[in-house]
Amino acid sequence: MPDGRHEPEQAIAGTGMGGTMDLGVDEAEALEKRPGGGGGPGPEGKPRSLWSDAWRDLRRNPVFIVFALVILFLVFISLWPSAITSGSPLTCDLSRAQEGSRSGHPFGFDGQGCDVYTRTVYGARTSVAVGVLATLGVAVLGSVLGALAGFFGGVGDSVLSRITDVFFAIPVVLGGLVLLSVITSNTVWPVIGFIVLLGWPQLSRIARGSVITAKQNDYVQAARALGASNSRLLLRHIAPNAVAPVIVVATIALGTYIALEATLSYLGVGLKPPSVSWGIDISAASPYIRNAPHALLWPSGALAITVLAFIMLGDAVRDALDPKLR
Amino acid sequence: MLLEVRDLHVEFHTRDGVAKAVNGVSYGVDAGETLAVLGESGSGKSVTAQAVMGILDIPPGRITGGEVVFQGRDLLRLKEDERRRVRGAGMAMIFQDALSSLNPVLSVGDQLGEMFTVHRGMSRKDARAKAVELMDRVRIPAARERVKQYPHQFSGGMRQRIMIAMALALEPALIIADEPTTALDVTVQAQVMELLAELQREYRMGLILITHDLGVVADVADRIAVMYAGRIVESAPVHDIYKAPAHPYTRGLLESIPRLDQKGQELYAIKGLPPNLMSIPPGCAFHPRCPLARDVCRTDEPPLYEVSPTRGSACHFWRECMDD
Repeated sequence: MPDGRHEPEQAIAGTGMGGTMDLGVDEAEALEKRPGGGGGPGPEGKPRSLWSDAWRDLRRNPVFIVFALVILFLVFISLWPSAITSGSPLTCDLSRAQEGSRSGHPFGFDGQGCDVYTRTVYGARTSVAVGVLATLGVAVLGSVLGALAGFFGGVGDSVLSRITDVFFAIPVVLGGLVLLSVITSNTVWPVIGFIVLLGWPQLSRIARGSVITAKQNDYVQAARALGASNSRLLLRHIAPNAVAPVIVVATIALGTYIALEATLSYLGVGLKPPSVSWGIDISAASPYIRNAPHALLWPSGALAITVLAFIMLGDAVRDALDPKLR
Repeated sequence: MLLEVRDLHVEFHTRDGVAKAVNGVSYGVDAGETLAVLGESGSGKSVTAQAVMGILDIPPGRITGGEVVFQGRDLLRLKEDERRRVRGAGMAMIFQDALSSLNPVLSVGDQLGEMFTVHRGMSRKDARAKAVELMDRVRIPAARERVKQYPHQFSGGMRQRIMIAMALALEPALIIADEPTTALDVTVQAQVMELLAELQREYRMGLILITHDLGVVADVADRIAVMYAGRIVESAPVHDIYKAPAHPYTRGLLESIPRLDQKGQELYAIKGLPPNLMSIPPGCAFHPRCPLARDVCRTDEPPLYEVSPTRGSACHFWRECMDD
C-alpha cells in the first residue's frame, strides 16, 4: 500500500482491493501456470503463430497434400517439360493424324498428327504461367488499392468502389472477345494483362473489407496511441491480420484464371497456334470428338485436374486460416 | 501543469443526429499526480481521453472546441505528424482489454521492441534486449524465454503488464489508463494497480485513471473528477469526496458501492438511466434522476461552483448535498 495514501474504509469494503495488495509475483506465476490459464495448448515454451498453426493444420490435411503434390508436379513439368517428354509439341506428322494410343505415344495423336502427350505436357506451361502471373498481378494491384481505400476511406474509397462496380458489370468472356481480338501479339502477356484488368476489383473488395475489419481492432488503436505512423499501422499491424482472406481468394481465383485462359484460347482470342495451350488443343480436337475422342480427353482432363487442384488448395488454405468457417 | 484540458467539446455526427459526447470538460494533471476520471459508460470519460491522445476517429468524431495543453503546447493545433511524435514518447495509453490491445500475430517482444525501433531508431537486437528489460521491470517471470511468445500465451494479468510495459517503454510524462483493470479478476486487479502506481511514483509520471471502480480510485488517486453526460460534475481531492460528496450524482455513486456492514440489505442504485447524448436534458443534465432536483435545475445549467479552492461542484444545491 502506498504510504500516505488515504484509504477510506467504506469504499474499500467489498471490492476486495485492500487485502490482496501483497499478492506477489509467485502467486501471479502460479496463476499463470494453472491449467487453461492463458497460453496455447502447444508444446511447452514453443511460440506459435497463426501461420504456424495453419501450417500444422495443412500438413495433416490429406486433401491439401494430394493437391499440393499435383500442383508441384504441374509447376515442375511447366519448368522442365523435357524431363518427361522427348519430342517437340510442334513436330507433327499428318500421316498419323487421329491415331490412338501406341508405344511411345501413350495419348495418341491429334487431328494434325501431333503427339497429344507432348502437347498436353507443354500445355501446362501456358496454364501455370498465366495462372500464376495473372494471380500475382491481380493480388498486388487489387490488395494495394483495396487496402489503401479501406484504411484511409473517404473520397478515394468511394471512387474506387464505384470503379470496381463498373468492372464487375463487364462480362468476362465478352470483354475478352472485344479487347483481345484487336491484339495481334501471340504471347501470354495480353491474356495476363486482360485477366489482371478484370480480376483486380474482386481482390480489391476482399482486401478493402478485411482491412476495414482489421482496422477496428483494439490493437490498431493501441498502436496508434503509442505513436505508430499510418504506414506502420497498415503494414505491420493491419496487413498481417487482413491478408488471410486475400490469400484464400487469390488461390481459388488462380484456378479460375487458368480456366479463363483456356476459354479465351478456345474461342481464338487468347493464345493462337503455334502457341501450345490446352484451350487451343481442346478447340482443335472438338470437331473430331467422334473419331478421336482421346485428343479432346487428355487436354480437357489436364485442364480440369489443374483447375480443381488450385480450387481445392484454396479451400484447404481457407480451412486452415479461418477455422471458424469450417 | 503537465496537462491541462480546457473547455473541451467533442461531438459525434451519426445518421441519427449529433451526439454531444463531451461538453466543456476541463481538468489538469501535474507530474507525479494521479487524476481519476469517474463516470458511467457514455459519460464521455473515454472520449475525452481519446481526444487528448489524438486517437479519436474523425469522422464521425469532431472536436468542436477547447484546448489540450501538454507541456506548454496546445496539442489540438499541432500537425498530425508532430502529434504522432508526442504519442508514445510524451504520453501513452493503456487500454481496458489487453488481449485485444495486443496484435495477435506479433510476439510480445516484437511489439515491445517496436517502441524502440520506431521512436528511437534502435537495432532489432538492442530493441529485443530492451523488451526483455521492460518485461522484467513489470515483473513478468522468465522474461528472456517469454519474450518470443505471442499474446494469447499469456494470462490476462500478464498481458496487462505487457501493455503497461509498452506504455512505459519511452518513459512518457503522462499515462492515460482507460479502465486498466476492468477485464481482470479481482486479485490480479490489485497487483496490476499496485504495479502501475509504483512505476508512476518511480518515473514521476502524471496518471489519468479512467474508471468506474471506486475501490480502485480510493487506493491510488490524488484527485477525482466525476463526469456525467459529457461534463465534469464534481472535481475534488480524493478524501474530500469520500468524506462528503458535493454532488448528488457522486453521492449516488458512493452509496451504490456494496458494503460489508449492509449484508442482506438491498443495494442502492441511482434510479433512471444515463441521458441520451443526442438529447441531453436542459438545465442540469442530472435533474431527471436527482433526489434534490427543483425547478431551477430544469432550466438553469449549473456552473462549476467553487466549494473550496481545490474543489468544485456543478450542483445548485451543493451545500445541501454536503450537509445530508
